[in-house]
Amino acid sequence: MNEEKISESELTISIERSIQAELLLLLGQRPSHGYELIQRLNEADFKSGEADAATVYRNLRRMDKDGMINSHWEVGESGPGRRLYKLTPQGGASLKVWAEYIAQQKATLENFLQAYLQLEESLPDREDEVNLT
Amino acid sequence: MICSQKALSIIHAGALQQVMEKCLEHFSKQNLGLKIKMKGVGSREGARRILSGEEYDIIALADQALFAELLVPDLVKNYFVFAADQIVIGYDCSSRGSKEITEENWFDVLLRPQVSFARSDHHLAPCGYRALMVWQLAEKFYDRPGLYSTMEAACIPYSIYPKSIDLASALFKGKIDYAFLYSSDAKLLGLPYITLPSKINLSNPAYANFYDQAVVSVESKIPGKAIIIHGKPIEFAIGLSKNSQYLELAQLFIDLLTGPEGSSILDDCGLIPC
Repeated sequence: MNEEKISESELTISIERSIQAELLLLLGQRPSHGYELIQRLNEADFKSGEADAATVYRNLRRMDKDGMINSHWEVGESGPGRRLYKLTPQGGASLKVWAEYIAQQKATLENFLQAYLQLEESLPDREDEVNLT
Repeated sequence: MICSQKALSIIHAGALQQVMEKCLEHFSKQNLGLKIKMKGVGSREGARRILSGEEYDIIALADQALFAELLVPDLVKNYFVFAADQIVIGYDCSSRGSKEITEENWFDVLLRPQVSFARSDHHLAPCGYRALMVWQLAEKFYDRPGLYSTMEAACIPYSIYPKSIDLASALFKGKIDYAFLYSSDAKLLGLPYITLPSKINLSNPAYANFYDQAVVSVESKIPGKAIIIHGKPIEFAIGLSKNSQYLELAQLFIDLLTGPEGSSILDDCGLIPC
């Protein structure tokens, strides 16, 4: 795991930033245009919230400029031409760092829950306790 | 590049007036001496003008679906989606009810007896039929049976302010309290506006199936016959006329609009570059 890169990530991931990770993952699965990406993102069970068109297109442009993805205009066979986005090797590397960071966060959260459950077991029974088991 | 004698002609949606002017400014610097004629119209009206024989090199419309319905393949070969937008309710600080109107109660405010609101002509401009679609979707979204027909009956006749620019002018002059506009229109004009839920404002492709339930009847390309159109996410598109005498120049203009410079211009004008 690349600890140095992960430690550079902020502890709190904003929705804006997590959308970038989600878009990188979707583009890793297959190249898509923005319209399709918005649909796929909203159908994905890993989405962090409703993805509106402005946020998605803004992040696609930003990642295109940063070299995480690239794009070209694709002429439509039976519909309009659209900009088609593809993951670059740099974007693939960034996606890997994201996955490592999320795995680390998941482990941290699991540790927190484990510690909380131990605390809960050590306390006397109370009616207003939240049962997490 | 010096281009004397040539005159590139562009027909575009009225909502793209500022975008086109800014693109023209950039394009003229790269093509000294080039003359460009621009005409801003309602997009449905624009497509019908081309069908009736008017000739333009570049066609930029507020609804990408108009290309497939009216212009492809006979008059335009390819067209490209370059921007997105949403429908909002624009108003003025003196509009009645403007202190109370919200995303949840806008229809109750608009339907008050003393409040006036308007939309553009759905036969001429996509903004007109999109306003009707928003009302139909609102009826389902807010679970208010009959809302669409009530809104239609209460709205100022569309023939009075047929274009978005007429609506904006009427708002500024205090002749109407509210108007259904594109978000980019309201931003450019400096008008306050109410943002509608994304499930009804025609902005989000994730709700394409829900939008599709909204239907409006408009004049088709066959005179006297109507066609039913369905709700779709709002997308602007640009195409090159097959009859253009300046294919290379026209393509360069499209490249500018769909490239980084164009994205920056669209952003500045309140549209979402795609």
